[in-house]
Amino acid sequence: MPFEYALVLLLCSAVPLVMSFSKDLNFYASWRRLVLAVAIPMVAFVLWDMVATQRGHWSFNPRYTFGLELGNLPIEEVLFFIVVPFCALFTWESVKYFLRRRR
Amino acid sequence: MKEYTILACAVALVAVAVDFALKTHLVRQKRFWIFWGVMTALTTIVNGYLTWRPIVVYGEAFNLGIRLFTIPVEDYLYGFGLITLNLVIWEYLTRRYRIPEIPPEKG
Repeated sequence: MPFEYALVLLLCSAVPLVMSFSKDLNFYASWRRLVLAVAIPMVAFVLWDMVATQRGHWSFNPRYTFGLELGNLPIEEVLFFIVVPFCALFTWESVKYFLRRRR
Repeated sequence: MKEYTILACAVALVAVAVDFALKTHLVRQKRFWIFWGVMTALTTIVNGYLTWRPIVVYGEAFNLGIRLFTIPVEDYLYGFGLITLNLVIWEYLTRRYRIPEIPPEKG
């Protein structure tokens, strides 16, 4: 189904997105911190992805994407570099939170 | 040439180098490796699905062909590089902007 890659991204981010608003985490203390921590690696990795896709390191199965593209990448693949870092940063703050609480 | 193998190793090393350059020293922290225990499990599920369907198809000439389930081992280094860079920048800015950690309630 063409929505599968998008669905994977949605399922990954659903719980982190809701829980990120928890007052215990203070996750959005600085929007600048969040935007820069996601965007700087994203620029490098999207460019890498475009070259790697061009060279044949990997490709994307058109059966599972909507068909919207940015350059030679499905839009889902570009969103991957927002969703995965967001989920990772949320997980990092959660791990820190639980380790602090144990002390 | 196993280009993906080389690039995946390189990005993991770059992430560690940036960690030292910005003096965030995440790799020396126990909680960073606890985090990676959790993330390895989570990324194995998600990337396992992406590579099993497969939503992402790999050019076999460019990687070693060693897989964990359906996941090329290079993907773990790639993920380590990406996410460690996210964390290093996040921690660097947390310190620079003096963002306090909210002390959670006791008990």
